[in-house]
Amino acid sequence: MASKHTIATRHAQGIRARFASRFLRSLLRLRRRSNRFGGSQSNDEGIGKRIRTDRIKIAAYASMARAVGPRRTWSRALLFKLRNRARIHGVSRKRCLVSEKKRVTRNKVVVAISREPSRADTLRKLVPGGDSMDTCVLLEETAHYIKCLATQVTVMQSIADRLLL
Amino acid sequence: MESEYFFNAGVPPQALLFEQTSTSSSMPIWQSHSSPMEMQDNCSAHLLFNSTWEKSTGHGPHLESTLSSMVSSPGVANCNVSGESFMELIGKLGNIGNRNNPGEISPHSQPMLAASYFTTANNSANTSCYTTPLSSPPKLNMPAMDQFSKEHLNIPSLGKPMGLNSSVAEFTADPGFAERAAKFSCFGSRSFNGRISQLGLNNAEMAKGCNPMMGNGKLPRVASSPLLKAPESQKRDRSSPLQDRSDLTNSQESSVSEQIPSEEAGVKASNELNSRKRKALSRGKTKESASNPPVNATKDAETDENSNAKRIKPNEGEENEIDPVKAEEPKGSGDDSQNKANSKPPEPPKDYIHVRARRGQATDSHSLAERVRREKISERMKLLQDLVPGCNKVTGKALMLDEIINYVQSLQRQVEFLSMKLASVNTRLDFNMDTLISKDMFQSSQPLPHPMFPSDSSASAAIFGHQQQPNPPLHSNISDMDPLDTAGLCRNLNTQLPPLDGFTQNTHQYPTFCEDDLQTIVQMGFGQNPSLETFPPQNFQGKERETEIKLRTSLRTYESSCS
Repeated sequence: MASKHTIATRHAQGIRARFASRFLRSLLRLRRRSNRFGGSQSNDEGIGKRIRTDRIKIAAYASMARAVGPRRTWSRALLFKLRNRARIHGVSRKRCLVSEKKRVTRNKVVVAISREPSRADTLRKLVPGGDSMDTCVLLEETAHYIKCLATQVTVMQSIADRLLL
Repeated sequence: MESEYFFNAGVPPQALLFEQTSTSSSMPIWQSHSSPMEMQDNCSAHLLFNSTWEKSTGHGPHLESTLSSMVSSPGVANCNVSGESFMELIGKLGNIGNRNNPGEISPHSQPMLAASYFTTANNSANTSCYTTPLSSPPKLNMPAMDQFSKEHLNIPSLGKPMGLNSSVAEFTADPGFAERAAKFSCFGSRSFNGRISQLGLNNAEMAKGCNPMMGNGKLPRVASSPLLKAPESQKRDRSSPLQDRSDLTNSQESSVSEQIPSEEAGVKASNELNSRKRKALSRGKTKESASNPPVNATKDAETDENSNAKRIKPNEGEENEIDPVKAEEPKGSGDDSQNKANSKPPEPPKDYIHVRARRGQATDSHSLAERVRREKISERMKLLQDLVPGCNKVTGKALMLDEIINYVQSLQRQVEFLSMKLASVNTRLDFNMDTLISKDMFQSSQPLPHPMFPSDSSASAAIFGHQQQPNPPLHSNISDMDPLDTAGLCRNLNTQLPPLDGFTQNTHQYPTFCEDDLQTIVQMGFGQNPSLETFPPQNFQGKERETEIKLRTSLRTYESSCS
């Protein structure tokens, strides 16, 4: 039990260190970019901050997924989504939105025909890449995802504290 | 030798008499007899008959021995060996031989030999001399009686695998021994045919001028497979007569090549095979010597039975099942199925999950699979229970799933909130960001087990008496709380007096909020709760101030201790 615990913690710490370094690097990159366009962003404080928040969030998720690597289904799905987003991002955002709307309506129809969404379905929506999992795999991936999210939160928390202090 | 045979027969004078009397009319008597004892007598007589012939020429003693072992060891158990089955057996062998004749032909093929024997025995002794080196030669001296020659032809082929491959001797203990033995021999010859085909290929290659070593290289591979043990034994068997006159075989095989046009290239191969056979002979000889005294043959068989039991048992089982049908079946289909049956047992059984249905549980595959799935799910649920705080007290999968969902959502919101905080920090505290980040990077890049997390945890723990362990009753209240919900946040901050206990992992971030962060949240309108506006900020600002000071001092002390 004790050895298991130490192994798990060591593993988590490895992931945490990797995530922290990646996340800090991406934060620095974001900061440099914001410094480059510093003048324009100071005009509208709210919008700029929201965009920055989104970027930081995405950077956090991406660095977490990269730290985990392609071993896990959720991290693979996240990386795939991020890559696709990076590809689509410059082209058109509207099309993406429209397609999302369509998908939503289609999904609604399907769900209405089959059954009402269960708890597993809500969990499936929360865990990236959960659509293609059966319940067993979903639970396993959820366990790992929760672990990683917890480490992510702690690391981000500590960084924020340092920055603030 | 003689004494041994006599001992085998059990009643030597009788047998001798029998032999002497049955030289002319042994076959009719053989077929007419049906009682076991008589049968045994017949067998022994026949054996003696053989032995006398072979003794006269001095060839193939091991064949005799094998024969004797075959007959003597199962003697009593052999009771249901009927002449008819033997004749069927002979017919099968003959069929094999005949079938082989037009096909791929090589001098080493036992069935071919048998066939040629069979055919030549009918016709004349001149052509049959070709086969003498490969099978027991004295039989050629026999009167050219059809059935008799058949029998002679049959019995060595029967006995060969038995005496040499001593594992086969186990067969003798079974009632349906003769049929099984017949099948074994059939199988052996059959699989040997497969090898012959390879040989034929090799011959063709050699005719083209390829490396002759190919033949030798291929053969051991084939022989090493467990299925082909019987042919291997046959080969060993045949190699013993070959030993004394390998040159003779060569010359005679050339005569074979005259007989059969496709044989021309095979002479070389036969030479090589002879060399290989000689190698194999040493092994074969030892076994032969072991099985030579027929009295000991049964013992040997029994001892070997143990070692070879694994190999034989499937065969036995298969044959036991098929036996009654097999005996009457036409040769071709029976042989094929036999081959298949023999090829199956060595394969390891398929790996599948063993699920045992308890009493009263359904046993069909669907419900079994469903049970396995449910077990898996419950296992994962247990795993998640350890991960998600506050899940220990919850019973029922649905509630647990709810807890998990809430926890994941809260974590995701925390990430969002923290990223927002970082963004705000980005703008507000530009001046010291670079230094901090470089420090952080330095700390995180070094492989210390606690890069940054312990600092804040220890700090918060030092200040607030913070509990790292999840506190379930409190957590159940807080876990579904939105981190962005400022009302809840303020509530938390209100209750965050230094001696407070019972803070969960989920909430331990809240005490570290700075007042300006909170103010930004309020300014940005994230607090949808109108109660926040009515909330006096001075109420917690003073406390926040002191907590901030404490945090800073603790962090500094920690960092100084670290560096």
